[in-house]
Amino acid sequence: MLVAAAICPSPPLLARELTGADPVVPELRAACADAVRAVLACEPGLVALVGAAPLARRWDSGAELDLSAFAPPLRASRPGSAGNDLPVALGLAGRLLDQAGYRGGRVLYSVAQELTPADCRSLGASLASMGERVALIAMADGSARRTLRAPGYLDERSEPFDAGVEEVIRSGNLDDLMRIDAGLARELMATGRPVWQVLAGAARGRSAAAAVHYRDDPFGVFYLVASLSLAESLSLAGSQEAADD
Amino acid sequence: MTGLPPARERAPGKQSVLRLGDHSFPPEQPLIMGIVNRTPDSFYRPGLTWDEEAAMARVAEVIAEGADIVDVGGVPAAPGKPVDAAEEIRRTAGFIAAVRDSYPGVVISVDTWRHEAARAACAAGADLINDSWGGFDERLAEVAAEFGAGLVCAHVGRQQPRTRPFRVSYRDVMADVLARTQQLAEAAVRAGVDPARIVIDPAHDFGKNTWHSLEVTRRLDEMTATGWPVLVSLSNKDFVGETLNQPPEERLAGTLAATAVSAWHGARIFRVHQVLQSRHVVDMVASIKGERPPARAVRGMA
Repeated sequence: MLVAAAICPSPPLLARELTGADPVVPELRAACADAVRAVLACEPGLVALVGAAPLARRWDSGAELDLSAFAPPLRASRPGSAGNDLPVALGLAGRLLDQAGYRGGRVLYSVAQELTPADCRSLGASLASMGERVALIAMADGSARRTLRAPGYLDERSEPFDAGVEEVIRSGNLDDLMRIDAGLARELMATGRPVWQVLAGAARGRSAAAAVHYRDDPFGVFYLVASLSLAESLSLAGSQEAADD
Repeated sequence: MTGLPPARERAPGKQSVLRLGDHSFPPEQPLIMGIVNRTPDSFYRPGLTWDEEAAMARVAEVIAEGADIVDVGGVPAAPGKPVDAAEEIRRTAGFIAAVRDSYPGVVISVDTWRHEAARAACAAGADLINDSWGGFDERLAEVAAEFGAGLVCAHVGRQQPRTRPFRVSYRDVMADVLARTQQLAEAAVRAGVDPARIVIDPAHDFGKNTWHSLEVTRRLDEMTATGWPVLVSLSNKDFVGETLNQPPEERLAGTLAATAVSAWHGARIFRVHQVLQSRHVVDMVASIKGERPPARAVRGMA
C-alpha cells in the first residue's frame, strides 16, 4: 500500500557536478531533499523509483547513473560498466534516496511516453501492492515549452497545463492525474505524464495530504517538487485491496 | 617561510604544485601575471603607469580583471636611456611595498636582472624575481634563496640586457631553450632556491627572431614536459607584430592566439598587458582540456 510519495523533476542539472562551478539551482536540490526526507519520515518498507525514459522496464537496484553521457570528463570517476546505464531520472532519484540516508529496499522502473494511462495505472497499482508500506519517488517534469528561451520554445498552452497538474497535486485527489491528456503532454514536452499516472495508479483512489516544496521554471521547464502522505486505509479498504490483488 | 608545508620533491617530467608567496598553485590552474611598468618608455603604451598613482590604479585594475600575479618592472627591455640600479630601485621598491601593503594576498613579481634591485624588491615584499635577462646576474638566485622567493629562469640566447637580437641563429632553438632554462633552474636549486618556486621562460623575442619565437611557441610542450612550470610572455610582442604585420596596439588577437596555443601546451603563467582577455583565453583552454569546469553549465540539461 502506498503511504507516501515525493514528486521531483529530473533535469540532469540536478546533478551538482554537471553545472560547473555554479551550483545553478541549489534551492531546487534542497527542495527535492526535503520532499524525500518527508517521504522517509513515513517509514516506508519499500521505495519505488519511477522516472521517464525511452524504454519502459524494470532496472536492477544496483544499476548506476553514468553522468559521463552528459559530461565526458566525468568518465574517469566511474570505470567500467559501459552500456545498460540507468536513465538519468532514476539515477537522480537514487541519489536523493542515498543522500537522505535510506538503506532499505528499492525497486526502479522507467516509464516511456508510449505507455497508455491504463498501463500507467496498472503499473502504479502493482507497485503499491509490493509491500505493506510502499513509498514512491516520482521523477516527473512539466512542460519544457514555457518560455521563449525554453528547450521547446514557447507554447502558450504550457502554463494552464502545468497549473492544472499542480492544482491536482495540491488538492491531493491524485486520481485526477489520470485525466491528463497524453497527446497534449507530448506536444508540450511534459515528460512527467506517465509518471504522474503511475502515481495515481499507486494511490488507488485514496487522497493525499500534499506539501509543495518548489514550483518554478527557471529554464523554461516546469519543475514541481511536492511530498504527499496518504492516510492509512480503513481495514475495509485494505481488505478490498487485498481482494483486488 | 614558516607555517608552510615542506616543499614536495619535484618529479622530473611531471608538473607539480607551484608555490608563490603563501600560495600553492596546482598544475591545472593557469595564472595571469599583469604587467605594471614603472617606466616612461616601455614599448607598449609608453608611460602608462609611470606615475605612482596611475600605477597603483593599474594594479587595482589588473587584480579586478583576474590577475593572480602583479609584475612590476622599472627598466624597459629595449635599449634607451640608461637606468642604473639606484634609479631602478627608486622606481620599484617603494611601489612594491605600497602594493604589498594594499594587497597582502596578491603575488608580486619584480621584473629585473639586477640582484640589487631584486634584493630591495624582495625586502619590500616581492614573492618572485622575474629575471627576464636570463641569468645575466648570477647573484639573483642567491637573493631568491635568501628571501624564500621564486625565480623565473629565462632563455635569452647570447644577449646582454637591453640589447636587440642581431643576426641570431640556432641549430635548434628549442634545444637551446631547454638546455639553458634547465641549466639556470638547476643552478638556482643549488643556490638554495625552493624548487617549487622555480619557473622557466622561453622568453619570446629575447635573443630570437620571429621564426624562433614561433618555433618556441609551436614546441612549447617540450618545455612543459621538463616538469618545470613554464611562463610565457607573449603580450603584444614583435613576433606577433611581424607575423601579422601589425603595430603594438593591433596585436591583441595575435597575442591571444599564441596564448591559447601555449595554454594548450601546458604553460602555467601568462605575463600580459590585457588581463581580462587573457584570463578568458586561458580559462577557455583549461576547460577545453577538461582541467576546469565551465563557470555555469545549463544548456541542454534543464
